[in-house]
Amino acid sequence: MFRSLQDDDRDLVTLNVNGQMVTARKGQSVWSAMAVAGQVETRKAALSGEARSAYCAMGVCFECMVNIDGLPNQQACLRRVADGMKVLTQDISEDTEADDAGL
Amino acid sequence: MQAFDCAIVGAGPAGMSAAIELAQAGADVVVLDRADRAGGQIYRSAADSPLPDAASLGPDYAAGADLISRFEDSGAKHLAGADAWHLGDDGRILFSYQGETRELHSREMLLCPGAMERPMPIPGWTLPGVMTAGAAQVMLKSDAVVADGAVFAGSGPLLYLIVAQYLRLGVPVAALVETTPRQHYLDAAPLMPRALRQLGQLRKGLSLLREIRASGVSIYRHAENLEVLGDENAKGLRFVASGKQYEVAADTVFLHHGVQPNLNMTRAMGLAHHWNSAQMCWQVTVDAFGESSVAHVSVAGDGAGIVGADGACAAGRVAAQNISHRLGRISRAERDNKTKSDLAYLSALKPFRRFIDCLYRPTDALSSPRQANTLVCRCEEQSMGDLRTGFEQGARDPNALKSLTRCGMGPCQGRQCGHLVTGLLAQWREESPEAVGYYRLRSPQRLLTLDELGRYETVTAEAAE
Repeated sequence: MFRSLQDDDRDLVTLNVNGQMVTARKGQSVWSAMAVAGQVETRKAALSGEARSAYCAMGVCFECMVNIDGLPNQQACLRRVADGMKVLTQDISEDTEADDAGL
Repeated sequence: MQAFDCAIVGAGPAGMSAAIELAQAGADVVVLDRADRAGGQIYRSAADSPLPDAASLGPDYAAGADLISRFEDSGAKHLAGADAWHLGDDGRILFSYQGETRELHSREMLLCPGAMERPMPIPGWTLPGVMTAGAAQVMLKSDAVVADGAVFAGSGPLLYLIVAQYLRLGVPVAALVETTPRQHYLDAAPLMPRALRQLGQLRKGLSLLREIRASGVSIYRHAENLEVLGDENAKGLRFVASGKQYEVAADTVFLHHGVQPNLNMTRAMGLAHHWNSAQMCWQVTVDAFGESSVAHVSVAGDGAGIVGADGACAAGRVAAQNISHRLGRISRAERDNKTKSDLAYLSALKPFRRFIDCLYRPTDALSSPRQANTLVCRCEEQSMGDLRTGFEQGARDPNALKSLTRCGMGPCQGRQCGHLVTGLLAQWREESPEAVGYYRLRSPQRLLTLDELGRYETVTAEAAE
């Protein structure tokens, strides 16, 4: 289980991850906010639909691609949280259609 | 259009050190870095740590804060949050910046792409809960986030460092599963005497290991046949040590067996590369001053072959003096004079690096999948068996295999599977990795939206400030 070592509640923002309201620190990565909230599934693999999650957390594996505010293919480890942000586990496969906005 | 004298890509130890020198020499220098703050991976958040007690990360990390502040005061233009996705040998750089597209031009380019962790394709490595040891470090350094009761598996200094950092912070660790084979200690022993010249470095490593042993955390040595347990999420790690099979339960498994240069930038530019057989990875071919096969493009730091943070600082300074000379700001003699001590340091580091490379060299069992159904290309979900079928159908080099199976064609653009594919083809062809080659890469090096491409501006160097 992931947890934060920060014990004060300065600079908090609230985001919505798959319908769950998640509190995170300003400047924190979307991925670590998801991890602390127990929402580790970032995307479904495009062919098998298997659950995937962040692997490298530094932008090279592209496993943590989520949908942020309607925009797909956002690397959760590189994006920073913002108040009111909406994050969804990405599910783009041959059977689903990606949101036109981002492609 | 006003071009910069030098554009540096990457604000880690090499990029920051180079920028400080070039700015001091009066050059118009711009540094593009993807992160919000300079530091690279190793000094990530060193200047503004979110940790209540950053000292627990060790003195080396604290030293990063000093470098970052010298860089920030250097006068070099720092574009934080600039993600370069096209580098042209005409000096043109295209990058994403605050959701928009930017372009700039430079006479000289210095690439400092740094290192990434070697992929470790053990069975179950794609399960949620399986991450790299570097990922644990990133989360700790930038967000003060840790995983309780994790298993750490593999070998190499970075693995021991993060375990020691967790223990200092009082974070429970389920086990350290160490995979360095007995034979590696024997192979590395003859290299030890010369490595002793870097006694400080060696001591640091040994004290980490002592610290871990003293903590009482479970340590398994010479482990083999690693396998992540779990169907939908990681549930633990199974392995064999001293002839006995063990299972350690954990919902987070951190893997590590060394780092390799982050290749995509140098590959996409079409620079010459060669296979480094000691570090078992591709690296860009550069001369002692960091000049690549394209003279006005230099590469420094781990991105040009793993040297570590101190080595990267020295290599960055050396490349900067050479670029100053190429820009006509200093003479060749001045360059030679100013680089003498750093070049001497870099060559003094070599025996130590050889020792580390030999002791912790990646084993075949961890560098290459052992089971046909283990995924090699995580993005396009191509298993070793799929690739073998492609090979048998006649795809004998990485690009042919990519065309046939789509391996390496997903969003990571081969960053994870590139070395694995070279390694597998070399085994199957019974030829050297050099003969097999690597994927041909192209820009853009990241996913872009048309919307972003539509918002376009050019960044110029201000004439005379």
